[in-house]
Amino acid sequence: MGLRLAQLAVVVLVVTLLFYWMLNLLPGNPCVAAFGGAATQEQIAECERDRNLDEPVIAQWAKWGGDVLTGDFGKSYLTGRTFGEAVSNSLPRTLLLLAYSQILALGAAIPLGLWTGYRQNSVSDKMVSGGAFALLSSPVFVVGLVLILVFAVKLDWFDLSGYEPISEGLVAHFKVMFLPSVTLASGLLPIYLRLLRTDVIGTLQEDFVGTARAKGLPVRHVLIRHVLRPSSFTLLTIFGIQAAQAVNGAIVVEFLFDLDGVGSLLVSWVAAREFLLVQTLVALIAAVFVTVTTLVDLLYSVLDPRVRRK
Amino acid sequence: MSDTAATLAKAFSPDVAPRQRRHNVALWLSVGWLVLVIASAVLAPWLGFLDDPHKPLSGQPEEGPSWSNWFGTDQLGRDMFARAVWGGRLSLSIAGPAVGIGVVVGGVLGVMAGYFGKWIDLAVSSLVNVALALPALVFALFIVIVLGQSYTNVTLAVTILSIPAIARIARAQALRFAAREFVTVANMMGAKWPRLLFREVLPNVVPALASIAFLAMGIVIIAEGSLSFIGASVESPSITWGNILAAGRGKLEDSPHIALITGGVMFATLMALNFVGDEMLRRLDVREARI
Repeated sequence: MGLRLAQLAVVVLVVTLLFYWMLNLLPGNPCVAAFGGAATQEQIAECERDRNLDEPVIAQWAKWGGDVLTGDFGKSYLTGRTFGEAVSNSLPRTLLLLAYSQILALGAAIPLGLWTGYRQNSVSDKMVSGGAFALLSSPVFVVGLVLILVFAVKLDWFDLSGYEPISEGLVAHFKVMFLPSVTLASGLLPIYLRLLRTDVIGTLQEDFVGTARAKGLPVRHVLIRHVLRPSSFTLLTIFGIQAAQAVNGAIVVEFLFDLDGVGSLLVSWVAAREFLLVQTLVALIAAVFVTVTTLVDLLYSVLDPRVRRK
Repeated sequence: MSDTAATLAKAFSPDVAPRQRRHNVALWLSVGWLVLVIASAVLAPWLGFLDDPHKPLSGQPEEGPSWSNWFGTDQLGRDMFARAVWGGRLSLSIAGPAVGIGVVVGGVLGVMAGYFGKWIDLAVSSLVNVALALPALVFALFIVIVLGQSYTNVTLAVTILSIPAIARIARAQALRFAAREFVTVANMMGAKWPRLLFREVLPNVVPALASIAFLAMGIVIIAEGSLSFIGASVESPSITWGNILAAGRGKLEDSPHIALITGGVMFATLMALNFVGDEMLRRLDVREARI
């Protein structure tokens, strides 16, 4: 565990240093961007001194790291807003989008995976597995465009009017969040489904499943209590890996549905050379990923007695 | 341990059990579609019947598919069929080199990590872990915005993305084969590491890498499409599948054919790539199990 934590800490360090270095490769800096070319050399130099931009990259990075550890997440060079204020609008949207889509994907993948694994090679299995294969080949933006066309344009069931927070009422909130969540889930579903199906087919060969069936337990009970439980580890692992990659889909979905989430924020910050904010956000994403992976490892030993014993 | 060419030929040979015949039809349909898409992309400048994709008023603006404009026209009356072909040309000319370089670099890194182990493995595995801790699109976005939205930079960005995934698979394959009896035997017979690596291990990793190349191609096309879609790939007026779709998003109300047909072409291409890749992996594994 100690080694793993050290490894993860190194991962976050390397990721942030890499990004800091890359950010400094950008032509121009926040001071140049702020004055819009109308500044004298002295003004720019003073501005750079104020913001520590004249120091070497590694020193800037070290200062940023120290600040983050003491709870100072940096602030905008231009507006002076702190990181917390800057993300307070966008972050909840992206997090909710990620959460809803994971719930939808798992909620659909678990029953479908159990069923198709149990009824391997049946007509329903072939249809579901074929559908999963097709989804796997569909980029989220294509799925999203089709969903918008059918459900928002033709049927007019949903609005595409940007974001509505939960405080505006659950109905309004879900009216704008449903399609984006389904779109994002469409990318995750086939991955979960295919893995679970393979797992279930393997588990069904096990002796304890035969015993459970022989005892006369109903199929549903056996599938949920005996077959799903060992497969939950596979799901957990892939969930950990997908956590970072789901952000990719989330960015595209935000653009597609005009949600103004973290993805759009990131793009505008890079363009405005907001080094500190970009840096903190990237570190945050990396840290979340690292935390999720660690939690998955810990959960393993809680869920699986075999791991605990080792 | 037959050589790579024979292994690949075997993967595609029609000599399989009858219940696989349906798979074969789908396989050859996929291969046919890929040949069509690649040929039209390569030959686009010389196809006489193809309109100029940038020329306005090739037909009435925002018309659906017709005999003169197979895929319809966009708001400027540009021919969508020509745009889809030229978009495919750019998208594929980004994905092709990206996967090519990715397979070579990722393959070399992975095989070395799997075969030599020790510090090389540690270094490569750490690199792969760091790469996996980053949302790939954020990273690509970053490279493209930092270096500029040119063809080379977009290709570079998606190439870098493909390397870790390919390296991981190559490593796993190399690990698996390095532990096999025939390698041990060759080692005991006095073969040195270059022979073991290049004559014993590598030929067995290459078929898996070839199948992975098809799957990676699909992933890279999606990655480039995502970049285009959020406006961070090669700048317009360059045409890619992704930016046709992004433009079509605003036109869903009046002319859904712009997004739908190009989306369909992209979907069919990805499906074909995945199918061929999956099928190759499956058949190679079948052979693998028989050894």
